[in-house]
Amino acid sequence: MIKLYDYELSGNCYKVRLLLAILSIPYERIELDFYPGREHKSAWFLAINPLGQLPVIDDEGFILRDAQSILIYLASQYDAAGAWCPRSDPALLARISMWLGFAENLTVTAGAARLHDTMFYDGDVDALRIQANALFRVLDEHLWFAEAQGEPWLCGGHPTIADVACFPYVMLSEEGGIPRLPYPAIQRWTDRVKRIPGFTPMSGIFPAADAPAG
Amino acid sequence: MADDPEVESILWDDWHVVAEVSRLVEFGRFETVLLGIKVLLERDASGEITASRAGRDIGCVTLRYGFVWVCLGRPARTIVDFAECLEPDRLTASAGSVRVAVSGLRAVENFLDLSHLAFVHAGYLGEEPHTEIARYNVTLPPEGGVLATGCRVYQPKPSPMESQGFDVDYVYAVLRPYIVVLYKANPVERARKDMIALFVQPATEESCVAHILTCYLPHEVHPPAVRRFQQFIFGQDRPILENQVPKRLPLSPRAETSVRADGSSAAYRRWLGASGVRFGAIPT
Amino acid sequence: MKLDQAPSAGRCYPVARTEELIPRRIAQVQLLGREIALWRSDDGAVHAWENRCPHRGVRLSLGTNTGTELRCRYHGWRFNGDGRCTFIPSHPTQKPASTLRVGIYSTAVHSGLVWVSLDPEIAATTFLVREDPHAVTLRSVFVAAPAAAIAKSLSHGYRISAAPEAAATAVAVFDDLTLAAPAAGRAPGVTFFLQPVDVMRTVIHGLVSPAPDAHERLAVLRHHNTQLSLLRDALERTAAAP
Repeated sequence: MIKLYDYELSGNCYKVRLLLAILSIPYERIELDFYPGREHKSAWFLAINPLGQLPVIDDEGFILRDAQSILIYLASQYDAAGAWCPRSDPALLARISMWLGFAENLTVTAGAARLHDTMFYDGDVDALRIQANALFRVLDEHLWFAEAQGEPWLCGGHPTIADVACFPYVMLSEEGGIPRLPYPAIQRWTDRVKRIPGFTPMSGIFPAADAPAG
Repeated sequence: MADDPEVESILWDDWHVVAEVSRLVEFGRFETVLLGIKVLLERDASGEITASRAGRDIGCVTLRYGFVWVCLGRPARTIVDFAECLEPDRLTASAGSVRVAVSGLRAVENFLDLSHLAFVHAGYLGEEPHTEIARYNVTLPPEGGVLATGCRVYQPKPSPMESQGFDVDYVYAVLRPYIVVLYKANPVERARKDMIALFVQPATEESCVAHILTCYLPHEVHPPAVRRFQQFIFGQDRPILENQVPKRLPLSPRAETSVRADGSSAAYRRWLGASGVRFGAIPT
Repeated sequence: MKLDQAPSAGRCYPVARTEELIPRRIAQVQLLGREIALWRSDDGAVHAWENRCPHRGVRLSLGTNTGTELRCRYHGWRFNGDGRCTFIPSHPTQKPASTLRVGIYSTAVHSGLVWVSLDPEIAATTFLVREDPHAVTLRSVFVAAPAAAIAKSLSHGYRISAAPEAAATAVAVFDDLTLAAPAAGRAPGVTFFLQPVDVMRTVIHGLVSPAPDAHERLAVLRHHNTQLSLLRDALERTAAAP
């Protein structure tokens, strides 16, 4: 059974929990006392991940850190249909990788603004917000043209780990003072992600309505 | 000081939490905002914690319940007393501090609110279809504040150690404009109550820091699990609080509509108005 | 595109493309500083409501669209198509007071866009532009600049085509928020409708007519998106400069 070293309020951890839920992969959740306990910096956890960061998975001895890398592994290993991270199409795989990089940009801008605004992290939050809004503009435009071509996901007609990776810090952006009012295509995309079968929320994100979509 | 904002005495001359002690231990220096004033907290080598504003010392600094308390004026009252925290078989622990972009009065009112439990905290502190809120009692004690007793809610998972749901009795006490406490029966020793206190730091009129203190009988419950649960629950409240318009709490009963289930919040707004609270509010 | 020269009787403003009003969703828009929850009920009707629950002020756009009602995320209060509260879960057997309602605005659908009138006395029914059922709506572009600055910039000319030899076409001004560049050669004309979000921000909506052929549609949409984005960037740089 996969072990996930995790913290509920971490957007990066949520990326992994979300894909695990979508792919119906059972796992054991080991919740660390992140705050104020700082358990992720304790000796026992540094022995597992010397960077002292979450999430980390341990799949029967195979230990992996970094949310995006974990998504690649879980999709490649456990998605029999090969839709979430298709390895057979080099161009598609590369596009997914490009958007995984974009997800990391979101983490260090929108995600960092959220940490500043909610948990006292240091940083030039005005600069972070400007950078995050610039990324959101690119994302909104990309999604609008994706919709216009009938393939309303980041990398084509089926959601991939790119969508999973970008979703949390976009959905939590308002906690960092970044409203999504100027980004209607992003609003529609987040609604779409919430309706992926198997979707699970986190504290701070509401699930979609129970009523089935029209 | 000459350019002090005109903040009403009920807030200015009272103690407010501005940080957890552990934050000062870790960082040694911490800047925060209280009632619109920038406050600098520092901890020296000997462990003493001091507070200052614009380079001038703030005399009234003290530590209590694991938090740093500050009074910007002259304290007219002592820090709230929780006899429970002195009981030897209890665990008293902070569940963390979180910043919220809304008036702290909205955060206090949300803490008092029963009818959101089945929606915002669905599956934990409430569940549809158990949404009906039975009549409960609200009084205004002579020493001030609001007391709500006889509150009852069906909870599927009232605390981290519960595996089944049952009706839970709540008692709420607003002790100061920005301090509220919740008492709920301990699942094992039903005659005694676990306590969760919310010390809300009014940073600006439209932002606050919520400091959470838990004081409970630790039957099979571990502090990290309690902390995580409180953070989980508060994380669910945050998008609601930060999407309330206006950010300040309107005190006029005509501004927002209350129903019977809102008895404690309606009493809270009336008490705030009668007490002259303006900071963080839209007075009538 | 034929333009009716009669002045509009009342003021209404575009706030969204109709195809973006997806069933069972709620869109968050803003017009003249007012926040609006925009939603479509299952019967096809379009609703523009004040984005604030009358109970505790929570934005209704956070809630859920059941197909016939909006449900507030905070306490589950429900409001029907007329904006009246129909159900309060904390008192499930009581009928909510008939005065308990959300503020609603009049809406209309025209030229592929949703229009809203903020004045309760004025229905959103009068338009300068005659409807062209074949017009194609552009991607709406959000600009951090006042509507007047955008109108002024557009009125200086606009490139209606990506063809290298195409120069900026003269733009006709119909009112402070409506401008048009006529078709020329193979390039379709475009009409711009400005939505004042607030004093500092505007959304530029656009219609292209005659509709481009299917195989050219994407290129046309991209061209106008690029042109409007360039205009946006230039205006925002000017606004940011000291």
